Amino acid sequence: MQELIQQVVSGLANGGIFASLALALVLIYNAMGLLNFAQGEMAMFATFIAFTFINHGVSYWFALPLTVAIAFAGGVLIQRVVIRPVERAPVLTLVIVTLGLATLINGAAGFFFGYVPRVFPSPFSVSTVNLLGAYVSYQDMGVIVVSGVVLVLIYLLLQRTTIGLTMRAAAHHREASRLLGVRVSWMLALGWGLASAVGTVSGIMVAPVLVLEPNLMQTIIIYAFAAAVLGGIESPLGAVVGGLIVGVTVNLAGAYIPFVGGDLQLAVALAIIVGVLVVKPNGLFGRPSVRNV
Amino acid sequence: MTAGAANLLELEDVRCGYGPTAVLHGVSLHVPEGGIVSLLGANGAGKTTTLRAITGAIHWMGDIRFAGHSLRRMATEDIVRSGIAHVPEGRGILTELTVDENLRLGAHKRKDREAVRKDYERVFEYFPVLRERRRLSASTLSGGEQQMLAVARALLMKPRLMLLDEPSLGLAPMVVRSIFEIIRTINQTDHVAVLLVEQNARLALDLSSDAYVLEVGRVAVSGKSAELQGQESVRRSYLGY
Repeated sequence: MQELIQQVVSGLANGGIFASLALALVLIYNAMGLLNFAQGEMAMFATFIAFTFINHGVSYWFALPLTVAIAFAGGVLIQRVVIRPVERAPVLTLVIVTLGLATLINGAAGFFFGYVPRVFPSPFSVSTVNLLGAYVSYQDMGVIVVSGVVLVLIYLLLQRTTIGLTMRAAAHHREASRLLGVRVSWMLALGWGLASAVGTVSGIMVAPVLVLEPNLMQTIIIYAFAAAVLGGIESPLGAVVGGLIVGVTVNLAGAYIPFVGGDLQLAVALAIIVGVLVVKPNGLFGRPSVRNV
Repeated sequence: MTAGAANLLELEDVRCGYGPTAVLHGVSLHVPEGGIVSLLGANGAGKTTTLRAITGAIHWMGDIRFAGHSLRRMATEDIVRSGIAHVPEGRGILTELTVDENLRLGAHKRKDREAVRKDYERVFEYFPVLRERRRLSASTLSGGEQQMLAVARALLMKPRLMLLDEPSLGLAPMVVRSIFEIIRTINQTDHVAVLLVEQNARLALDLSSDAYVLEVGRVAVSGKSAELQGQESVRRSYLGY
């Protein structure tokens, strides 16, 4: 029982990281009907920026919001400069553009920051605290709290503010939103900024657990895809719930299914993707898509 | 029809089309300040295209002026913000959002909070069903209720001109009558001008003071609504009743 609780809490911490990146994917999926394959690389690059700040003596709790703000601006910039010119292009073109962007950012990170793995500092102690008889690390709890706060802030922004309302409107019905005076193109850019910002949080949270290097997010993005697909690709709430479920499932599978161990955890995520697409293609929170022909 | 400053909306020899297909071949029409004007005609005559040209969804030649200023090269968002509420074909309801969120989108650029609150009260007075359904997804509304929501949302935009694209389409006669009654009330109390596209010519002519009949992208007949109604030949050849 005690070990189970520890595995679940640790799974929730991973889940918070997956949820943040999955939410970023969903925000952009809603803005342009496409998964952004560069999402993980954008988060990785921003994590390097945070690392540079911290290395120059900026305190962690100041570097975090500063990097998130820079990532937001970067996301808006990428949408304006790279995505907007090809906005009306066929989906396959957009897929290639985001894949190219991923390769470009990965290479740029190697060029600027090098390929040597670095230890990213964590503000949370690795020591454990006794919680209901189980030993839970401050690191895990810190990640859960930070991810939770970020996800709640995004929720409040989208659901409770006028700008969030116009962002949701623009994502779902471009023409109808324009007729209500919504600046659709800018709302889509804001969506990219927001996605970039929330994805960055997942990068900064995961870096201390792994090591910081240009391929930091390449497995995390697979878990995030699994989370987004499980939640029903269009639903922000689904991304969060999906992230937590994937985090816990993968962790429990690694601990209790003998042959999975640490090596096959990624395969569990892929199994979730395939399973959802076969059994319930619209995910937990998605709505069946109806197309008039 | 009076000319010059009294006209809120003026279309002058407007030509446009989709790709190589021309739809409007030079349409000129006027909507006076505070007036109701019908735009009639058969399917494919160019009624919807005319409205789409006004709010900038389609590139046009000629000139379109609103309150004396040309709308040439203006983005749809800016045209709408300058005071034109366009209820498009299919009503433009955002079905992923709730009824209340749809209404809030109508008023989202307004700063006069007290007046917005009063307009909300009026909207719910006109369409009590919207108050009951406020929290529900707009996708749960019936066709008539969605049309009510579209008109209510347009009113909350506090426009000087409303463009209504077939508000009667697919609705029961009783629902249509009540919606038209409220369009008349809005026109009278707020002095909002209305350009009404309709297939139901009899209904539209009853409501409007002036009317234009389009035929394959040209104005075939125009004049006072009452006069058009009285002319048997016009009614038979163009209005089909």
